[in-house]
Amino acid sequence: MSTTLEETPLEKKAPLLGLSKPWRMALYAFAGLVVLSLIRVITGANDLTSAGTVNAAVMLAVPIGLAGLGGLWSERAGVVNIGLEGMMILGSFGAGWIGWQHGAWAGVLMAIAFGVIGGLVHAVATVTFGVDHVVSGVAINILGLGATQYLAGELLADSPGGGETQSPPNSGLPKPSIPGLSGLLEPLESKHWFLLSDIAGILRGLFTNVSLLTIVAILLVVLTYVLLWQTPFGLRLRSVGEDPHAAESLGVKVRLYKYYAVAVSGGLAGLAGGFLAIVASNLYREGQTGGRGYIGLAAMIFGNWRPGGLMMGAGLFGYTDAMQLRNAVAVHALLLVVFALLLGLTVLNLYRRRWISAGVGLVFAVLSLIWYLNTDELPGPITTMTPYVTTLLVLSLAAQSLRMPKASGQVYRPEGK
Amino acid sequence: MRRVTKLVAVAAAATFSLAACGGGSDSDTVDSGDSPTSDIKVGLAYDVGGRGDQSFNDSAAAGLDKAKDEFGVEIKELEASNGETDAAREERLRLLADGGFNPVIGVGFAYATSMGKVAEEFPDTQFAIIDDETLAETPNVTSLVFAEEQGSYLVGAIAAEASKTGNVGYVGGVNTPLLQKFEAGFKQGAEAVNKDIEVQVKYLSQPPDFSGFAAPDKGETTAQGMIDAGADVIYAAAGGSGGGVFKAIKAAGADHWAIGVDSDQYLTAEADVKDIILTSMLKRVDTAVYDFVKSSVDGEVLTGVQRFDLSDEGVAYSLSNEAAIEPFTAKADELKEQIIGGEIKVSDKP
Repeated sequence: MSTTLEETPLEKKAPLLGLSKPWRMALYAFAGLVVLSLIRVITGANDLTSAGTVNAAVMLAVPIGLAGLGGLWSERAGVVNIGLEGMMILGSFGAGWIGWQHGAWAGVLMAIAFGVIGGLVHAVATVTFGVDHVVSGVAINILGLGATQYLAGELLADSPGGGETQSPPNSGLPKPSIPGLSGLLEPLESKHWFLLSDIAGILRGLFTNVSLLTIVAILLVVLTYVLLWQTPFGLRLRSVGEDPHAAESLGVKVRLYKYYAVAVSGGLAGLAGGFLAIVASNLYREGQTGGRGYIGLAAMIFGNWRPGGLMMGAGLFGYTDAMQLRNAVAVHALLLVVFALLLGLTVLNLYRRRWISAGVGLVFAVLSLIWYLNTDELPGPITTMTPYVTTLLVLSLAAQSLRMPKASGQVYRPEGK
Repeated sequence: MRRVTKLVAVAAAATFSLAACGGGSDSDTVDSGDSPTSDIKVGLAYDVGGRGDQSFNDSAAAGLDKAKDEFGVEIKELEASNGETDAAREERLRLLADGGFNPVIGVGFAYATSMGKVAEEFPDTQFAIIDDETLAETPNVTSLVFAEEQGSYLVGAIAAEASKTGNVGYVGGVNTPLLQKFEAGFKQGAEAVNKDIEVQVKYLSQPPDFSGFAAPDKGETTAQGMIDAGADVIYAAAGGSGGGVFKAIKAAGADHWAIGVDSDQYLTAEADVKDIILTSMLKRVDTAVYDFVKSSVDGEVLTGVQRFDLSDEGVAYSLSNEAAIEPFTAKADELKEQIIGGEIKVSDKP
């Protein structure tokens, strides 16, 4: 039985240079850093690896990553969760509403609770009543928005400094830094040396002013991996998403596991919303989520329904989004980064004998190089869409053998009923 | 058991209908005995954000409240929801016109298309739209518009005077022609004081994505980026995202200033950031709404395009952060006189 549940290996070819996977990933990361550093030195766009960019990238990546993680839990148990956006909205409202009265941590708990409620509604509809997952998810998105608008009118309209569309500000969470690190790295970063300054900038961005909730989010990714891939509970949960009838025949309580998964999914999406209302800004504001639930879902799909891939997708999106928000000059230099990334992917695809992907990648690489050489600055509208385009291009060319859980999206009816 | 299911169904239906009208919470006001009364019923449809946004919509609400107190008019307010369609706005205006409300005011240029249609259906109702003049040809629509570029010119000049680094920033919510007027004025004003000044410009989102007005986190990230690139005064014309800009300026420490927009944000912003708000570009939507309602109570309703500018205080800069703004008022007032006198022409295109 267990053989059918095993992941199909992503690459059937011999691993590159005969290295094991962690070493290969480290090698890729280092090569990427060298290229990024080279581009920074060539273009003079120091914001590419500055501490400010890295810090902003993390802030922008966390809500997307958490929403994606929510999607992963749900889909691994076979329930498509397109309602992540609605659950995020519920979470941001819960955090904003409780956060200003009872402190930020209470707000975080409320965000999770509101998200879980959204998740349970989705679970009741899809698991118990067998409603189509997409229909239920869309309904939750509409319901999440409508319910929060209604509740905000009732609960926030008369609050001091709040209104029908926003909550009063909350106190936020502490943002600790590793002591002494900033003073040590800042002079090195400002020298703008090749590679050394980049590493200093990235480390400073990663380890100063890190919100406690960011740390929680990263731990949750690790915890998800351990729970779903290293424990019997996880095996059962994933078996429900692959072949519920087979799982049932082995005594797994399919519906119960689906409920667990969708509730956790809602809680994570709610936490993503809470992050927006407590860490990213300090209040709930209508429309604050801005479609990030959908982007999280996309990050999860491109991450091949795996925590690591999802983190990379969210990170890439957060990084490019931070770039475009912070500095137009650096976005122009980003064209060169995209060129380098695509060129690297092309080489990789040639090595793997994927001729079509290699060709497409090469065409886009050359186009972005030509674009870079012929312009000084990107027009505003194009700058704003950089994160979407880059993430789409890179991930779609990098991740080719996506495999979703087999029974994801299917309505499950127990045997004999 | 069956009865229980029915009950659940009814409860569920109720929840859905509650949710469906979540965006349309409204308030009817009945006159109390001793206040002045009037037969005029004023309907007002808000833009996204609604009452409580501490900015644009609140300003309209203030004007309406003042008119209600003074003339005893009956009012009805309807809220808009994020990402709604023109059909929803049409429905809202029709509801007001149908209910006998006359005049009907639409807050924000988003109502342009829908008001054009509804105004034709109700030729006897007087409509007014704020921030749009594409309906100037429709006889029963009054366009209430502002010379934002003039007010922005003054705060641009103030920003350039206050900047020690010769580098200032402009954060716009959504890249629309309306917001480009703010950008244009700000740039010209800054360059009038210091022709070598660097003005960083960033819009948080591109239409039809209007999330840039409600993304304080993105406002903060953008402002942080501008500060890292050398800016020390930032003008936030970004609705609800402006709070993020204030946070970034506050975190940057002394000698960094923010400039608010629409309302006097020194008075409305959170207590811990208010001291960094140098001034605000005031856009007296309240005056416009009040004047319009007053004209209809007086029986001589304002029609056509009504432009509010520096000369009639329709746009201005605020003085409430007295100690901070004091050194810059002389120059700003001089420029203001020159604009009113026609010696300076401020373009509304960046």
